[in-house]
Amino acid sequence: MAATPLLELRGVNKSFGPVQVLHDVGLDVYPGEVTALVGDNGAGKSTMVKCIAGIYTIDAGTVTYEGRKVAIHSPRDASALGIEVVYQDLALCDNLDIVQNMFLGREKMSGVVLDEPTMEQMAGDTLAGLSVRTVKSLRQLVASLSGGQRQTVAIAKAVLWNSKVVILDEPTAALGVAQTAQVLELVRRLADNGLGVVLISHNMNDVFAVSDRIAALYLGRMAAQVKATDVTHSQVVELITAGRSGNLGLPSESSNGNGYADITPSGDER
Amino acid sequence: MRAGPSQEEVRRHNLGTLLRYVHVHGATSRAELTSRLGLNRSTIGALTTELSGAGLVSEETPRETGRAGRPSLVVRPQSARVYAYAISIEVDRLRAARVGLGGRILDRRETERPRGMPFEDAIRPLAGFVREMRKAVPDDARYVGSGLAVAGMVRRADGMVRLAPTIGWVEEPVGEVLGAELGDIGMLTVGNHADVSALVEHSRGAAVGLDNVIYLYGDVGVGSGIIAGGRRVTGHGGYGGEVGHMVVNPQGRPCSCGSRGCWETEIGEYALLKHAGREADSGREAVLNVVEAAMRGDSQAQRAVRHVGDWLGFGVGNLANIFNPEAVIFGGTLRDIYLVAAAQIRSRLNAIALPVCREHIRLRTPELGNDAALIGAAELAFEHLLADPLLS
Repeated sequence: MAATPLLELRGVNKSFGPVQVLHDVGLDVYPGEVTALVGDNGAGKSTMVKCIAGIYTIDAGTVTYEGRKVAIHSPRDASALGIEVVYQDLALCDNLDIVQNMFLGREKMSGVVLDEPTMEQMAGDTLAGLSVRTVKSLRQLVASLSGGQRQTVAIAKAVLWNSKVVILDEPTAALGVAQTAQVLELVRRLADNGLGVVLISHNMNDVFAVSDRIAALYLGRMAAQVKATDVTHSQVVELITAGRSGNLGLPSESSNGNGYADITPSGDER
Repeated sequence: MRAGPSQEEVRRHNLGTLLRYVHVHGATSRAELTSRLGLNRSTIGALTTELSGAGLVSEETPRETGRAGRPSLVVRPQSARVYAYAISIEVDRLRAARVGLGGRILDRRETERPRGMPFEDAIRPLAGFVREMRKAVPDDARYVGSGLAVAGMVRRADGMVRLAPTIGWVEEPVGEVLGAELGDIGMLTVGNHADVSALVEHSRGAAVGLDNVIYLYGDVGVGSGIIAGGRRVTGHGGYGGEVGHMVVNPQGRPCSCGSRGCWETEIGEYALLKHAGREADSGREAVLNVVEAAMRGDSQAQRAVRHVGDWLGFGVGNLANIFNPEAVIFGGTLRDIYLVAAAQIRSRLNAIALPVCREHIRLRTPELGNDAALIGAAELAFEHLLADPLLS
């Protein structure tokens, strides 16, 4: 529970032509914590992640990383800072083995040849550090791995580079029960090892199972960033679907005047 | 007035501390031991020499470090040579293992325990397991003792199982009969299943470095191991921590213990299966099937999981208010229930626990899973060795 955020976004705006996708968005990512980023489809979660990862450049706003203002113009900038993203499609190559995948594009060299022993050692140490016991051989082709194991390899690849912030986009989507459980435990372990983890998920159980903070996006605005020890399931659902819950969240739309009454959180089904 | 500790006592204490460190943390370099234990280099050298002379640790030069200077020797526990037997009696299974110093499981055996099996019938397979494993022990290995973990209330002095409602035993002399059956087994130390599991998660699992921890273990019933201020809370007779029999619903169902509305009648296996409409099933598999069905969208299973999650949060909230723990660990089938019902658990917990008691609470799943009970039972036996490494 560190006091200063590792990564801090303030007043971030992003438009695609006439469509403004992010409005004055802020986000804090703390080391040793899992921050869940939740929101409905189209709320701007992916855009926000791509802004952090350097795939999109932001139109306005500041990004502060370890207390310094930084500009992220490309994915290389992001990974140089220590920010890694694991996308939903994982971006692994089926025809390569685990070690080759983990070092793809950043291979260790020994003179003019690849330094296979070092890479294998590093890959093995990383997986061991994450207490991953499900992978039998590091030289297995990724094509032969199960969904959960692929996710594990993709996460290990992100951790390998001494990264400090790891962003995971829906890591448990399309996994079975046992594998979902293992991936959730892995996500938690990343944070317990001191990383700042951002978890994008639609599954409220996943969010509550591992996160310390929950940031809810609503139509391109940050409705609220709350601690997981302070909110209930129904409050988070309201933040996602209405942008506000009781005194949490965005101010009510003033343009409506006295059009309708406040919807109390206890009113609807839990 | 008592004089200060003698040199001999200090030495024994230091030997125990060093051995305990490598037992818990695994192979450690002499240099690191020096800084971790706050002893000077020559003392560490003398202590490790003495321990390796006794065959408890080995020393070796590490792989190339790539740094300047002579690398510090690495001290590792002699896991393959120093061992204890661990026996675990649970509701649905009987397990035995040979565990090496350092908490490494060297060999293990397991069999199912049908519900309602009387204790006499449980002793024979367990004793058989130990005899079987003994055949594979190398000649130069050193046996330090045996530990027994029982999922029930057990008297530490002699292993008398006072009451194990979920297993169905009352006042059965398990420790005595098991000891007699095994013959020359020497010291048999007994403990509660959840207690010893908590101890292991605290020393080398999900709760390392945390001094206020509640470990919950769920199967048919719910047991707990509570660590407060870095110490195990077991109560006067060692029977404490029975959180499963905390009454949460006085109008609720009768419990196997004779009371009504105990926490385990709302969150245990029977409650989950009943709400899921699968009363005919039983056991861990049946619980996991409900969890799986809930994830796949079976609405009755989802209702059952949510119901249990809600009650689980209710009890955890009460415990949070009483103990203000840093972590609550969900073991046994509660691990799987936690991961699919975390939203309900958290919501209820946040609603009833006081803000100051819940603000830093971490909800975690165990790191050692079901091995914790076996390693923990062995830990009971290793405790004697660690207290005085050169004894015997």
